Amino acid sequence: MLINKDLRCSRLNGQNIRLTQIVSRNCSTSDKSTSETSTEETEYETKERILRASLPFVYQHGWTNKAITSGAEKEGLPGVAHGMFPRGGAELVFFFYRECNQQLVKQMKKQTENVEEKPKTGEFIKNSVESRLRMIIPYMEKWPQAMAIQTMPQNAIESWTNLGRLMDEIWFYAGDQSVDFNWYTKRASLAGVYKSTEIYMLQDRSENYENTWQFLDRRLKDLTTFGKVTRNVKQSGTVASEGLYGLGIMAKNMCRMNSR
Amino acid sequence: MASTSLLRIPCRHMSQMARQKRSRELVDKIIRVDHAGELGADRIYQGQLAVLGNTSVGPVIKEMWEDEKIHLETFNKLIVQHRARPTVLLPIWNVAGFALGAGSALLGKEGAMACTVAVEAVIGDHYNSQIRDLMEDDPEKHEELLKIIKKFRDDELHHHDTGLEHDAEKAPFYQALTQVIKIGCKGAIWISEKI
Repeated sequence: MLINKDLRCSRLNGQNIRLTQIVSRNCSTSDKSTSETSTEETEYETKERILRASLPFVYQHGWTNKAITSGAEKEGLPGVAHGMFPRGGAELVFFFYRECNQQLVKQMKKQTENVEEKPKTGEFIKNSVESRLRMIIPYMEKWPQAMAIQTMPQNAIESWTNLGRLMDEIWFYAGDQSVDFNWYTKRASLAGVYKSTEIYMLQDRSENYENTWQFLDRRLKDLTTFGKVTRNVKQSGTVASEGLYGLGIMAKNMCRMNSR
Repeated sequence: MASTSLLRIPCRHMSQMARQKRSRELVDKIIRVDHAGELGADRIYQGQLAVLGNTSVGPVIKEMWEDEKIHLETFNKLIVQHRARPTVLLPIWNVAGFALGAGSALLGKEGAMACTVAVEAVIGDHYNSQIRDLMEDDPEKHEELLKIIKKFRDDELHHHDTGLEHDAEKAPFYQALTQVIKIGCKGAIWISEKI
């Protein structure tokens, strides 16, 4: 059976179009009763469906093709459907990442919409980062593998985009209005905090990950102190430049170059 | 028959998603580069005014600067509203704009006006091509943005004409000067669209 499956797999691999055709035809027969539009399930939706079904198998097989195969079979699709995912386990990791991000966005939307008083920025950010990290907890055992997959060169770009998008969402719902270079420093510094806390979390054995949340708290405090220091430096910078400007005018006057 | 229609639908769905993505990227790009441009323009007039503030053209420059301030303010709002990313090069345009303004003003008021003419000509063209892109993409969806850009284009072309009225063409090396500035502006636009 297994050999047979592998054979079919190797024959079909690389022929994604044909496979999609098979899969979508399969779907269209199974969902025919519901409505006209759902009979025409698209490739994209099929992929999402398979990946969603694969997540429970991560405990067993890790972030691998094997988990995707099991997920596809559970959905009543041929196990070779993992041929639709040329990057294998990485697609499963990214799917999970996107799903969690969407969930967090929903949650943040609820917190900020239709409320009279906007939540405090610092607290809001801490809560958002914490609830995002909590979404990983169920998969903690296999998460180091996912992190390793994300750092592989061929996946690095998408990982960074995902992380960047997550930071953008958090700052957006925190009410960030910056339109200058701060836009970058804010997102980059929060990404640093998020990533380091994620790494800390891997080895945290305390109950309910208490140590991790304390770690997160300390990192965010560091950030606010850093912000204060830079603001002070900036202020003294403007004072210095105004002083220089005054000196310039004085020099001009001394040389009788003042036109006034 | 059935299989061909099944194949076509996923394709159409994907292309619709791709179109949406392209549309979003277009708006993102336009707002980013325009914001950078208006910041640069703001700094150019500020630089010119720092040198020529007490001369006869001072009030003219001041008036144009006020326009640019409104433009910059509008794009500041649009960035937040559309969640566009500001360009990484903002600190550079900040300094470069002021240097260009002050540098051209040091050549005299004609120099400053020649700089205005060159910059505004490029910006006017650039806004026109953006209007074309947006019209091509979806005129209804981008109605508000189109209105803003059209208004700003008219303002910029008005500045261009004001520059010509104030003897821009009498500036030293007028042709060479405007060509160099135009090429610089086009380069700045190109790179701000990318990063």
